Amino acid sequence: MRTRDADLSDALMMKLFENSTEAIFFFDREGRALAMNPAAKNIVDPDILKQLYQGYPEALCGTCRGYTSELELRTCHNCYFNTPDSEEFSSYQVYLETKDKGIIPFAATFHTIDEASGVRVFMLRDLTRQFKTQEKFYQNKMMKHVIEAQENERKRISRELHDSVAQEVMGAVIDLRLLKYMTADEQLLKKVKQTEMSMTRLLNDIRNLSVELRPAALDDFGLEAAFRSHFKRMEQSYGLVIEFHSQLSDKRYGSEIETVMYRVCQEAVLNALKYAQVDKVKVTLAENDGVLRLLVEDEGIGFHPGDEPGGTGLGLFGMQERAELVGGTFSVDSGVGRGTRILLQIPLRNTLNKEGNPE
Amino acid sequence: MINKVDYGQELHMLRTALGYDFMSLALAEPAEYDYVLRWKYASGNTNDRYKRIVLQSGRGIAGIVFKTGKPFLISSVQEDVRPDNLFNYPITKMENLNSIGAVPVWNDARVEGVLLGGFRSGRRVNAEMLQALEEAARRGIGELNGKELLLS
Repeated sequence: MRTRDADLSDALMMKLFENSTEAIFFFDREGRALAMNPAAKNIVDPDILKQLYQGYPEALCGTCRGYTSELELRTCHNCYFNTPDSEEFSSYQVYLETKDKGIIPFAATFHTIDEASGVRVFMLRDLTRQFKTQEKFYQNKMMKHVIEAQENERKRISRELHDSVAQEVMGAVIDLRLLKYMTADEQLLKKVKQTEMSMTRLLNDIRNLSVELRPAALDDFGLEAAFRSHFKRMEQSYGLVIEFHSQLSDKRYGSEIETVMYRVCQEAVLNALKYAQVDKVKVTLAENDGVLRLLVEDEGIGFHPGDEPGGTGLGLFGMQERAELVGGTFSVDSGVGRGTRILLQIPLRNTLNKEGNPE
Repeated sequence: MINKVDYGQELHMLRTALGYDFMSLALAEPAEYDYVLRWKYASGNTNDRYKRIVLQSGRGIAGIVFKTGKPFLISSVQEDVRPDNLFNYPITKMENLNSIGAVPVWNDARVEGVLLGGFRSGRRVNAEMLQALEEAARRGIGELNGKELLLS
């Protein structure tokens, strides 16, 4: 006599079988399909379905595209179908050619549920989404590494130029200046003066190179100082006037955040210079409610978002990527004839890095 | 510099003679400003923004001419410069120039300045005009004697 509990679990099992999103196949000892649920029927091509029911040897191979072993992403070596109940196949990854979604990765189990009759069950769960999430995660991580490596390398070369090369040249310039106390030869002094001028300009070029690679001010004095010197150079090099408002004074943030802020601002201002046809840009830097904000505005010609980009279009993408790396948001507000506003917001508190540890 | 030369006046006369809409002269600043190059004088300018720019060796019009000692010609800014490169030539934007030529000004076998002439209208600087500009620079401007480095 059956108990109510058993009835209930029967009913539940039926519901599970009928409505589960997980594909379930039952096979007998000979490998003929005994039953499969609607989810399973949804995956498999009708022709192969028929073959499965008829117990065609290797019918499953019509849809299976190999499982993932330690050695290969997709292999048929040591097929799970022939060796159920081995430790290896309690949970594994398999690729199936599906009816309408192409080759899809599944998490699978294949094991015997009835020793006496040899009935085996094959269960599949779609892994596409997990794979996508994982891929995105991996991509983010790689991007972070690449950007970090690039910044570190720039920092190294920048320091080298600044501390070593520039210092040497500086020494030589001073030596040249001393020469005028050592001789009264007018002609010689004139030549020395010319050399001193060239060397001084060379020294400036080296310093400029160093700052362009990565401003030491960013590491030593923080965002505001780095911004101010960058804007001064923009004005000197391109005649672009930058109206800069900052409420940060000399407050410091994590090096990663400061780098993102600096690079995004650099790119945004350069974009304004290149495309907006303006000679004035407004930059505002503020922190409130634990969010660091950077606003770059111009009153230039603007553009229609989504249009074919005037440049490579990589700049906007890069800014977006950098913002995402520190959990920030990045937005562009522009329209033809009404200028462009670029807003970067980075939350400061509760920032978790990718490993889930507090920064 | 004891005898202060009126570069501005000289530049103005040169512009009248050569017929440019705009002319400017870049010179090195004195030692206390690290000898940086700036557009020091201009004639036919519409504003004073050109004074903002500090020229970097090898960049921009003056920078290239200064470093190479060779003349430089953009016969049509619109046609010859891609829009996303335009920012490299800020003076064209500031003075709305459409055609420019620039030549080095020599002094004792060194490039000490850059002389630039440009048009706003449809007129274009051509090879002959560039040559005339070069000859003017070779005659010397102000204290610069125009003596070129002659490689024997």
